[in-house]
Amino acid sequence: MEAFLGNLSLGFGTALTLNNIFFCFIGCMVGTLVGVLPGVGPIATIAMLLPITFGLDPTGALIMLAGIYYGAQYGGSTTAILVNLPGEATSVVTVLDGHQMAKQGRAGVALGIAAIGSFFAGTVATLLIAALGQPLTKLAQLFGPAEYFSLMIMGLVFAVVLARGSILKAICMILAGLLLSTVGTDLETGQERLTLGLQDLSDGIDFAVLAMGIFGFAEIVRNLENPETRDVVQRAVGRLLPGKEDFKQSYKPILRGTFLGAILGILPGNGAVLGPFAAYTLEKKLAKDPSRFGRGAIEGVAGPEAANNAGAQTAFIPLLTLGIPPNAVMALMVGAMTIHGIIPGPQVMTKNPDLFWGMIASMWIGNLMLLVINLPLIGLWIRLLKVPYRMMFPAIMIFCCIGIYSVNNSTSDVLFTAFFGLVGYTLLKFGFEPAPMLLGFVLGKLMEEKLRQALILSRGSFATFVERPVSGVLLAIAVIMLVIALLPSVRKGRDEVFVE
Amino acid sequence: MSHQTSPNDRKPSSFGIRCGQDFAAGLFLIAIGLFAFWQAQTLGRGTLNAMGAGMLPQSLAVMVAIGGIGLVITSLLVDGPRLERWSLRGAFFIFGGIVLFALTIRTLGLVVAGPLAMVFGSIGSEEFRWKESVIFAVILTAICILLFKVMLRLPIPVIGSVLEPILPF
Repeated sequence: MEAFLGNLSLGFGTALTLNNIFFCFIGCMVGTLVGVLPGVGPIATIAMLLPITFGLDPTGALIMLAGIYYGAQYGGSTTAILVNLPGEATSVVTVLDGHQMAKQGRAGVALGIAAIGSFFAGTVATLLIAALGQPLTKLAQLFGPAEYFSLMIMGLVFAVVLARGSILKAICMILAGLLLSTVGTDLETGQERLTLGLQDLSDGIDFAVLAMGIFGFAEIVRNLENPETRDVVQRAVGRLLPGKEDFKQSYKPILRGTFLGAILGILPGNGAVLGPFAAYTLEKKLAKDPSRFGRGAIEGVAGPEAANNAGAQTAFIPLLTLGIPPNAVMALMVGAMTIHGIIPGPQVMTKNPDLFWGMIASMWIGNLMLLVINLPLIGLWIRLLKVPYRMMFPAIMIFCCIGIYSVNNSTSDVLFTAFFGLVGYTLLKFGFEPAPMLLGFVLGKLMEEKLRQALILSRGSFATFVERPVSGVLLAIAVIMLVIALLPSVRKGRDEVFVE
Repeated sequence: MSHQTSPNDRKPSSFGIRCGQDFAAGLFLIAIGLFAFWQAQTLGRGTLNAMGAGMLPQSLAVMVAIGGIGLVITSLLVDGPRLERWSLRGAFFIFGGIVLFALTIRTLGLVVAGPLAMVFGSIGSEEFRWKESVIFAVILTAICILLFKVMLRLPIPVIGSVLEPILPF
């Protein structure tokens, strides 16, 4: 307990310097902005802003990038409630009841409860990261290559199970992502692999290039083909502070949502996206009158909103303790850390304690800022939402181009981004979800390294992955998850969850 | 958000391709797998004890192709959505705009590459309007120069290598 408090005070000491408060504020503002705007996500934004962080000190840079990520969760719900469009993938379920509440003139209350729920969830998640950080780091130091490999396999299986649509397609995307990660010079033999003889590919494909192509440019083309109908709430937003009755109805959903979201967020393989769905389903099951859901039930906003924010933050746990990024945003954080010479993993906590705890403390400060800055700025966000997409996408385009060019000052990176945009668009047309591919790509290099090491240690025997107890258990969990997901009854239920 | 066509507009067919989307997706994956395998062919596979550079790319390429075959087979057995119409206009102008940016940023600089890429990309939208788009692109380029060059000091060329000697200042 003493160590826990000592760590937190070190963290707040770092996070509360004027510089870091400023970066935290900038991150939260930018995050809210991209969260509010549909069609711009945190992935493209962080990829875009990476070059800007080169000149900053690592702590400030990471505090800002983290702020963008969880700030986007707040912003996403604003759009969901006011426009009937999810600003972010994680606010899809908030649309259901949030927009209904807005239509009934209770937009303010919906926004208020979303912000309060998110703040509560963010606080709990921050404490959870601080509490779990140390024990998990100790656990991680016991992990050998075989355990790491099995853990990543488990993460990929989770990603398959949690992805929308066909399981076979998700597996194909993971494999394609792993295949893409092998492009470049082989670290052990120095041979060039799959580079097509191109000099620019000998260092491998840059993650920012891939992510920007697939999540930035492909999305623009996809958005252009379905002209959106934005249904911005015209009625007054109403009072922001929820009343006594509202609080009474929502404090339990907030608690349950926080718990569900936090647990799912820790899972490798982007469990955070599932949090809001799970929370919504749970609230509907527990409600005395489930028919209220979809017609403006406040529980349907409070639970999922708490869950998405809790999940967004606990997703940092696998990254900070094990060095395994659970989703694309975390992979970009790895990129940002590497630029500053920090190798993510268990050693971060001991080697850079001020960075580790400073970042965690800044998350709580950021959540507080978001609560304070978000609600008064709603008028501004509404005005921003009225900007038509035909003016927004050229802006996204040029920001992405400048961002990608500046990462390596390379025009070929820009060309590759256009190429991957085209690939991403093709994949969308074929009904593939690109997220699992990105995760496969992110984990690919580390997995290959650990696989090779483990097989050298076991003298080429695959049995090592099953015989070592921890590794065996992880693989068993992965297999069980996959089998359960393939059972016909569960498959049906899974489809229903995603349809809702 | 759903990009799958609703079950109502599926064409009922008793034989042949029942899910055009999966069929095409499968062929696409098979092509990728074959291409990658062909490219990685010359790399040494090594043994499990000491894996060579080619072991993983080759096995992954085979697995991707097998996944593709699986998709083709299911597309013949299970009903599913047809392949959607492609938005060629959007794709051509957006990706074309980015390529234009890449080709002109060094030589002509952001002052030309920015508006060029943005206006070209804007044509990709059905709601394109010349005047609005040009004015907007010029203003946004000015903002970008201010933000990225002046404030953040990124080494992005504002006036390219071709324009620089011509300009009087």
